[in-house]
Formats: sequence, structure tokens, C-alpha cells
Amino acid sequence: MPLIVTFSFLNGLTLAALLFIMASGLTLSFGLMRVVNLTHGAFYMAGGFVGLSVLKFSGSWVIALLAGGFVMAALALVEERFLLRRARGNDLIETLISLSVAIIVGDLVLVIWGGYPKTIAIPGALMGVTRIPVIGLMYPLFRIFMLGLAIVLIVGLWLFLKKTNLGITIRAGVDNFEMVSALGINVRRVFTFVFGLSGFLAGLGGVMGGTFMMLVVGEDWRILALTLIVIIIGGMGSLGGAIIGALITGLIYSFAMAFIPQFSLFVLFLPVAIVLSVRPQGLFGKEA
Amino acid sequence: MMETHVSRYGKILLAVLVAGILISIPWVTSNYFVMMSIRVMYFGMLTMSLSLLAGELGLVSLMQAAFFGIAGYFVAILQSRYGLPFPIPPLVGITVAIIAAGLFGLLVIRARGIYFLMLTLVLGQLVWALASQWASVTKGDTGIHGVYAPVIFGISTEKSKTAFYFFQLIVFAGIAYFLTALKRSPFGLMLRGVRDSETRMAMLGYPVALLCYSAFVFAALVAAVGGVFFAYFTGLINPHSVSLTANVETLLAAILGGINALSGAILGTGILKTLDVVLSGVTKRYMLFMGIMFLFVIMFAPHGIVGTIRKHWDALVGPAADWFGFRRERALAAFLSGQGSSSQSRKRKEGEEEKED
Repeated sequence: MPLIVTFSFLNGLTLAALLFIMASGLTLSFGLMRVVNLTHGAFYMAGGFVGLSVLKFSGSWVIALLAGGFVMAALALVEERFLLRRARGNDLIETLISLSVAIIVGDLVLVIWGGYPKTIAIPGALMGVTRIPVIGLMYPLFRIFMLGLAIVLIVGLWLFLKKTNLGITIRAGVDNFEMVSALGINVRRVFTFVFGLSGFLAGLGGVMGGTFMMLVVGEDWRILALTLIVIIIGGMGSLGGAIIGALITGLIYSFAMAFIPQFSLFVLFLPVAIVLSVRPQGLFGKEA
Repeated sequence: MMETHVSRYGKILLAVLVAGILISIPWVTSNYFVMMSIRVMYFGMLTMSLSLLAGELGLVSLMQAAFFGIAGYFVAILQSRYGLPFPIPPLVGITVAIIAAGLFGLLVIRARGIYFLMLTLVLGQLVWALASQWASVTKGDTGIHGVYAPVIFGISTEKSKTAFYFFQLIVFAGIAYFLTALKRSPFGLMLRGVRDSETRMAMLGYPVALLCYSAFVFAALVAAVGGVFFAYFTGLINPHSVSLTANVETLLAAILGGINALSGAILGTGILKTLDVVLSGVTKRYMLFMGIMFLFVIMFAPHGIVGTIRKHWDALVGPAADWFGFRRERALAAFLSGQGSSSQSRKRKEGEEEKED
């Protein structure tokens, strides 16, 4: 296999890992609340920049990662509690509110961190390249770490949703919202929690993405578009769909970057068009 | 539009008044005001295209600027690179935009509500990516410069802003008139029927999918005409014209003015473009301001300016309108004529959605 194909494949996997982290939060909050949170991309970017500043201040990448996640979780909670909750029940208005918050956050990031592209420094322990055992290729250690972290997150999310009470409540809410609230569960609180979790994942994604890619104003919309494509392909509200969608999107994007860079993003039109015409609800989506 | 609430006599008076003001603009106001009016008109066409979909059909699109931009790009490329003479670039540009709308329309037209919004957002971003990344054709982020407005009947609309103004005014008036007529036609009524209850319309035997599809393609045509004038007037086109920002600005203009009225689309565009100019002299935080304004309009005034005026029309201008010969109409009469107040139909729709959930 030519080297470029192997590398594109590995890069695609890394990107897919990041996209899954982004899409999982979005798809969960959509499944539960029927809101497409368009602030998700802005949370990604803002989380990345928060991580950048915290890293400068604390010197620890792990603290930066958690800071990015928790600050965005707090921001998401504020957005849910004070803005979205006021329009609950009208999903179109809720989605438009999230769009306006995305614009506000995006411009505030520009005010605070400026318009120049920045990168978060890779932590010392994860710098450099390493040999991947089976195929015997040199590959950046940090990207392998990211892939591992994403797998840990996938397993963690899966365990959380399958095994914990809260996770089971969330899944039940996705399937049949009315029944869950009729059983006397405070669905409002579950909403708020999932929204916060979704913001946390976006912030986490921002710090990770900011370390192996660039952080720059405008990145918020690019990531949001990619994340939405993942969800459209995989099916909205489905976590398994998010995994498959992230793999398809990440791999196509990565191969397109290597072979037809001029159309790297536009080429994603193809899977979107195919899925929409064959299975409008997405590969793993339920019939609307 | 406003005409709903006034008599035939008032209507003619209003039309003459508006026509008089529009025609006299180049002579009684400054050159600057003429240029502002030109901007408001081409962006107004973009906003009207969104307004048609969102107001009549209830489909909020975040990709109308893509059709605006496709037409603009084709005009710019065909003229500046291949030197094709006047009627060809705009005709090709508009045709391509319509074909694109026909293609995208097939993918999005089954979607409703937030699904439609999300799909159009993604497709709009893909068009933006193409404009920004396909540098060999679109010249990337710098965009294409040196687009010259055409010579019509021996008058250069590039040199004379007044000539450009009238050239655009004629097309703009034609489109505005046609859209008004469309809204009142059986086609417009059917669209509102789909907005208010799609299942009922389908049960009555109306081809709902075809209605939505033709409205989508037609809206793209209106946006494309605006894009042609944009490219001619500014002389350049770059990815910003098809960016999400441009789409959000269009949506804000439409909602701010009043999503259910064409006059609202133009009013909203006028206010936003004026603010753009005023604010850009004072601060660089136009986006922040726009975001906050968007938030407030969505949360507190989703019916926009024209919607609010309509709601309080009698109390606000009733006495004055009586004085000038306008006749007050009762809400019931307006409702029976198929142009019921926007707030009523919106409320009904919301109620229905809740039931469906």
C-alpha cells in the first residue's frame, strides 16, 4: 500500500475520533430535546482557546483539557437554563437561539484571543513519533493517544448510557419522552445535564482538536458543518450512528485532503446526498 | 403586505406614493443614498427569497445566499475571464443557480422544521467550502475582482449609478410585484396551506412535495437575480457572499422586518444594512451586535416589525388612516380573504406541533 494511503487512513481515523466526540454530545441532546444545538461548533472553538490559555497559565495539558471541557459545560448550562428553556417546546426557535449564541460566542472569541491561527502545544510526554507495531509505520504519538482517548470516551459513554441509572433515563427519554416524564422523573434536570455533558464534550474536543489541528476563527463553523454531516449520515439521536458517521466523514475528508484538496470539504456532499436519497433518516436513524 | 388593510383607493394612492419616492431618489437625495438604495435592493431580493420560503411555507433556509453567490460567481467568471457580452453571464448564472436549486431541492424538500434548517446549513457550508477552496476557478478567499456592470441602450450602468439604480429598480419592482401576485394566487394559498397543516393539504389531494419543490426553486431564482446585481454593483465576489454569516444576516433581516410580509423583508434589509454602515464606522464588533440583536428578535419579537404593526394596525394608525381615506378593515374580513393575521396562523401552527409531539 502506498504510504500516502496508509497515512490518510490513519489521519482519517484520528479525525473520526474527534468528530465522534463532537457528534456524540450533539446527537444525545438532539435525541432528548429535539434541538439542533448550533452553538456546538462555537463551544469547540472557545473550549480550545480556553485550553490554550489555561495551558499557558498552568503548564499542564491535562488541566487544560479538563478546563476547556468544564468551562464549556458551564457555558452550555447557562445557555440551556436562561435562554433555551424559555423557548422550550418550539424547537425551531430553540435552534435559532442556539445559532445566535454561536455568533455571539464566536465574536467574543475573536475579541479575547484575536484572529491569528494558534495551536496548543503537544504535551512533552506525547511528543514525537512512534512505530506502530503491526504495520511498522512511524506515526505521531499524540494522534495515537487521541485515538485511544476517543476509544476510552466511546466505551465510557457506552457504559454510562447502558449501566448507570442516569444513562438509562437518558436513553428512555430519547425513545419515549412522554413516558419518562409520566413515570415521575424530572426530565428538565435530565435535559440540563445532557446539555452540560454535550458542552463538556465539545470543549474537550476543542482542546484535542486545537492540539493536533489549528485553532482559528471560522473553525467553529467548519467543525459544526462536519459534525452535522456525521449526524445526518449516522442518523440523528443514535450513538452507534455517530460512530459510523464519524468514520465515513473522517475517512472521506482525510483522503480528499490528500488527493483532491480543492474539494476536501465539498466532496462530503456525496455521502450526504446518497444517504439523504436512500435513507433520509440516516443510516441508524429512526423513521421520523 | 400592507395593502391587505387598506381600500382600493388607498392602495392606488400608496402605490403612486411609493413609485414617486423610488423614482425621485436619484434626484432629490445624495449619491450615497442612491448607493445605499441599490444595496438594499439586491440584498432585499436575497431576503425576499428567504421570506418566501420561511413565511409562506414555514421552511427556514440557511442556504439562500448560496444561490445568490452561485449566480454572482458565474457572472464574475464568465465576464471577467471569458469576456462574454452582457445578457449571457447573468442568464447563465441564474440558470445554473436554478439547476443547483433543483438538485439541492431534491435532497432537502422532504425535511421540515429543524431538519430543513440543518440540511440547508450543511449544503450552504459545502457551497461556501467550494467557493473558498476551489482556488483555480473561484480564486479562493480573495475572490474575483473586476466585474463591470453592462451597457444598456447605450448607457453604461457602470459609470452612472443613476442608470444602475433604474436598471435594478425595474427588475426589483417586477420581482416584488410578481411575488405579491404569487402570494395571492392559488399557488400562494396552497403554500400557506402546507405551512399550516401539511397532512390536511395532502389529504385534500394537493401535491405537497411538488409545491414545496417549486417554491424552493423559485426562491432560488429570486436570490440569484439579487446575486447578479450584487456582482455587477460591487464589481467583486468572494466566499463571504456565500458564508454562513451572510445566510444568518439574511435570516435576521427577514425576521426583523417580519417574516410573513415582503415589505418586512425589504424593511429588515434596509435597517440591517444601515446599521452595518453606521456600526462599521464606530466599532469592529458588528457580528457581536448582530448576534445579540438576533437573540433579542427571536426571543421577544419573532413576528418582526411588520408583524407587530399588523397586529396593532387599528389602534396605531386607524384614526390617521381614516383621515387620509384609508378604510379600516375588520380582522374577520382580512381573515376571510385568505390573508389572516400572521400571529393567528402562527399560533395555530404551534398548537398543532405540540399535539403532534
